[in-house]
Amino acid sequence: MSRKLLETEGPDWVQRGIITETQRGQLLALYPTDTAAVGLLPLLGSLLVGLSALSVVAANWQGLPELVRLGLLLGALCGAYAGGEYFRRRGNLNLGMGLIALGLLLFGASIVLTSQLYQLIGYDLTGLLAWAVAGMGLTWLYRSRLLFLMTAVISGIVQGYNTGQMGAFSYLTAVGTALGLGYYWWRRPDALLGGVLATGLLWQSALLINHLHVKITWFFIPAMLVYAFGDWQPDRPAGRALQGPPLVAAFLFTLGLALFGESDFYAGQLRAPLVPYLAALAAVLALSLWGKQRRGRLGSTTDWLLLLPGFYFTGGLLLAVATLVVLYAYSGSVLWRAHQEQNQDRVTLGTVLFVLTTAVAYFKLTWGFMDKSVFFLLGGLLLFGLSWLLRRRAARTFASSTPKS
Amino acid sequence: MSVPLPPVPTAPLPDLPEPRRRRWLQWLVLAQVLFVLGVAAAGYATEALGQRIWLRTQPVDPRDLLYGDYLNLRYQIGEVPGSLWRGPRPPRRKQAAYVLLSPHPDSTYEAVGVYPERPATTGRQAVLRGSVQDVWRRGLRLRYGLERYYVPETMSRSLHQRRSLRVQVSLAPWGQARITRVDTTAR
Repeated sequence: MSRKLLETEGPDWVQRGIITETQRGQLLALYPTDTAAVGLLPLLGSLLVGLSALSVVAANWQGLPELVRLGLLLGALCGAYAGGEYFRRRGNLNLGMGLIALGLLLFGASIVLTSQLYQLIGYDLTGLLAWAVAGMGLTWLYRSRLLFLMTAVISGIVQGYNTGQMGAFSYLTAVGTALGLGYYWWRRPDALLGGVLATGLLWQSALLINHLHVKITWFFIPAMLVYAFGDWQPDRPAGRALQGPPLVAAFLFTLGLALFGESDFYAGQLRAPLVPYLAALAAVLALSLWGKQRRGRLGSTTDWLLLLPGFYFTGGLLLAVATLVVLYAYSGSVLWRAHQEQNQDRVTLGTVLFVLTTAVAYFKLTWGFMDKSVFFLLGGLLLFGLSWLLRRRAARTFASSTPKS
Repeated sequence: MSVPLPPVPTAPLPDLPEPRRRRWLQWLVLAQVLFVLGVAAAGYATEALGQRIWLRTQPVDPRDLLYGDYLNLRYQIGEVPGSLWRGPRPPRRKQAAYVLLSPHPDSTYEAVGVYPERPATTGRQAVLRGSVQDVWRRGLRLRYGLERYYVPETMSRSLHQRRSLRVQVSLAPWGQARITRVDTTAR
């Protein structure tokens, strides 16, 4: 509850006799006014001064002697960390963490600018990897969500730079991200960080698949490993958040398969060697199921519907239709589970997925056979009808659940 | 779903005690400073210990608005005929490529072979690492990371009007490279 709400609504509550005036005072004392807002003006002032200093330095950067430039970089780096610690100790946590984060950014900038200063190129990958390692260290030191987020992004950038500019994949970066951030998240589960971590790992997996020039379906092995890791996480919302990105990837992939799988050329591009791929997928599935069983979440096994390797069939249109059936089964199961759990957000999600699937199915099955105006008219009516039905169903579920609770 | 939830196996991670955190932060900042100094030292060491070779190049597109002045250099060894490729399989984009360089009579170096792995050298030969940017029927386009040379403001105007330049590159035994000199008096 925010202080603002108390301040505005409090007198009304007292008037209605819900709380007494003394209680209102006690409640207000629980939520002291935010001191951070008071410090905002000096902060903005120092930001402006900092910016002007930065622009002076940037304008004269090329003209400064090498050692002065190096000194400026290192001075700013140490200054940011020292300032961060100083403000943290004085109780200004947000400003302190902001400065620490700035220090991390300055470390990356120092590496890049120093290499540039000496016109130096290196192919040993360590330069930027050190940046990611520093981020990891700071995340563990401060147990900070901001630093975790930055480290995930920095690792992604480092890996993107390695594969894009240097033609090499840094396995050390990938494993380091997975273990360092993964273990941190395991011990301090958090929904937002779960999503960020999964997205970062998927990004690196995609870069790896692209780097290795193998069939893109291999992407789902590491992606589903991330998913399976979420199954083992005792904290349910954090686990679900980690599983979000892999599921989004799998859903979009299946949607694409429904749209284009009809052409055997596209499906052929997806066919990884049958036995190794299926064996790897089965191993990950087993790991995931074991985790689900241990945590009592076997109900979410339907997620794996999206991983059915339909692209091995050479059925043409039949494959597209079969994929649509799978998509319906999946979005239907999401809806059904959401209604069972009476989870409003997941009902919305399930509805969106269901409508999306219907749109694709409709497009796929009728585009060739129907006059275009009839196509759009019927399609629109179908979607309207569907969303009305689903919303009514949702409303009924929640209406029946409210009196009970 | 009737299976009872097993107890949480790990306690949530506590915050680090203040003195310990501060001590570790000091080490971490020190390591970062030392790393940046190490990068600088590698720059000096590459210049001092590296093998120096001259490469033929020409400047393109001389000014960048954001980062002050630098030259974009197009090296003669940036485009090599496909016949120089010495790999078992055809080259691919973004692949690493090691270019074997041999001195020309006018003392600039030219590519004599492009390898997927570092080749052995004889005599005054040198190896420069690059990556494949483009592959077409008759040749390869390579990037070395040396394509950008940051120059003092006063110098660039006279430089970018030249059609041909010689650039001295220092190659460290551990694989790093840096431009150490730009010869403006060349033909």
